[in-house]
Amino acid sequence: MAETILKTEHIAKAFGAHQVLADVGFQIGSDEIIGLLGPNGSGKSTLLNLISGFGGADAGDVTFLGSSIVGLAPHQIAQRGLVRTFQLPSMPHRMTVREVLRAGSRERAGLLDAFRRDAGEDNAEELLEQFALKSVAHQPASSLSGGQKKLLSIAVALRTHPKLLCLDEPTAGVHPLLRGHMVDLLKAINRRGVALLVVEHDMHFIHELCQRCIVLDRGSIIAGCAPCELAQNERVVEAYLGKSLERQKVLA
Amino acid sequence: MFEFFVHVAVMACLYGLLALSLNLQVGFAGLVNFGQIILFGCGTYAASIAFSHQLGPLAGIALGVVFALCVAAAFARLGRNLGADYWGIATLAVAEVLRILANNETWLTGGAQGVGGIPLVFAGISRPVGPLLTLGLCLALLLAAWWLCSRLTASRYGLSLKLMREEPLLAASLGYDLSRLKIQTLMVAAVIAAAAGFVFAHYTTFVGPDQLVSSETFLIWAMVIIGGAGTHLGAIAGAFLLQFVLAFVPFVKDALGLPSEYVAIMRMTLIGGGLLAFLMWRTQGLIPERLGETRRG
Repeated sequence: MAETILKTEHIAKAFGAHQVLADVGFQIGSDEIIGLLGPNGSGKSTLLNLISGFGGADAGDVTFLGSSIVGLAPHQIAQRGLVRTFQLPSMPHRMTVREVLRAGSRERAGLLDAFRRDAGEDNAEELLEQFALKSVAHQPASSLSGGQKKLLSIAVALRTHPKLLCLDEPTAGVHPLLRGHMVDLLKAINRRGVALLVVEHDMHFIHELCQRCIVLDRGSIIAGCAPCELAQNERVVEAYLGKSLERQKVLA
Repeated sequence: MFEFFVHVAVMACLYGLLALSLNLQVGFAGLVNFGQIILFGCGTYAASIAFSHQLGPLAGIALGVVFALCVAAAFARLGRNLGADYWGIATLAVAEVLRILANNETWLTGGAQGVGGIPLVFAGISRPVGPLLTLGLCLALLLAAWWLCSRLTASRYGLSLKLMREEPLLAASLGYDLSRLKIQTLMVAAVIAAAAGFVFAHYTTFVGPDQLVSSETFLIWAMVIIGGAGTHLGAIAGAFLLQFVLAFVPFVKDALGLPSEYVAIMRMTLIGGGLLAFLMWRTQGLIPERLGETRRG
């Protein structure tokens, strides 16, 4: 593994009496693609929110590129290079797909930049092509299908030149034909030096994309292994399918 | 009649500036400002204080800019932890507090009596040349503000404002500092509104707290909604349309042989009815915002 880009230690979070995360710690290398798995309600999205500044942890530390990002606002974390997408991306009604994509880049987006003649480099058209959004570029972003919104949210996040991109269920609602394309795109993004943390339920997608997986169950990490080892991991199988018949018999 | 037309046109230009200022906030940045009239008051009272303390018009302009920036900063500071609707109510409260202050701090503002005798913009120039020159100045200011707002909203900065208006969470997740965007937008809008106030004070030669009542804010809102929020031309069109319609209400009253008190009622009905009609049947206003207009971003 290359140098550590993100490190979490002893993260804990409770909503009232419900302990959502307990003593969660892991790290991600700057060249890795990590899958974050777990059954519904295991705390994946909460963990992503805490890492990206959209929620505060009760305890623990999050270090990004060597410095703590606990207590920073989401925009400050994004400015450092940790950018996330949302599980249900909501897109603007009164902006076109192209406008949303252009708005993704903060370069030359200052107040005084409005009076410059040169708008700077722009890879928006290239991204529209890559993410198969060229044909809908003139449409309101809110009119896209769920899958297209997912693609747009990844493309917009890439406009910020992230160092770590956290994707919350990127394939949910995406057409099966596009999933393969998305694997290729994300691998290409990773080759350009962007680490990826992917929250996902689609095991086939995880197998194709990720080098390593972290599995959460009821707020705790129960496994950290390669995707091909998941099916052999008893705790993972138990978390997803419940206790095996044989074990139940022994317990009985 | 000619001078009356010039007067209505001057007032339409000044309201046009206020509508452009509000449109930049609400139409582009999604900032629901119900205290707009106090930004105008920053200009009127800067002119009044500069006059009553014999500081000169240049000091008045500087004072207006400082007042406007301070009120804008206060509004933005309020907005840090409030949702858009609550923030709107807070701006209304701040505007009312400042109006009451203007009403009571007689030593500084002239109190409820206000300050009269503020020199005309083109003092010493005979009619109708003086008012025509004032109209020219107001038109120039309106065009300059239109250019400024268009330049801002057609750039990538304008896209960031729209993103903040539409999807603030997405904007924050992409690294946009929403507090900073809000304060910048409010400051630009406040200076435009204060400029209108400053010229207004030197045009009517009187400044008083009654000019800052909240119904004036809602008149500016009606102009923006009827003209079309999110388009600069719409805001200006709304201001001119309402100003001219309201100016000709007394003539309609005379033609129908109605008593004088009907003028105010007819004006209120026109504003309220027009606002309601547009909100129900043409929410996009006379000149709707067009998608994909931002080309320079």
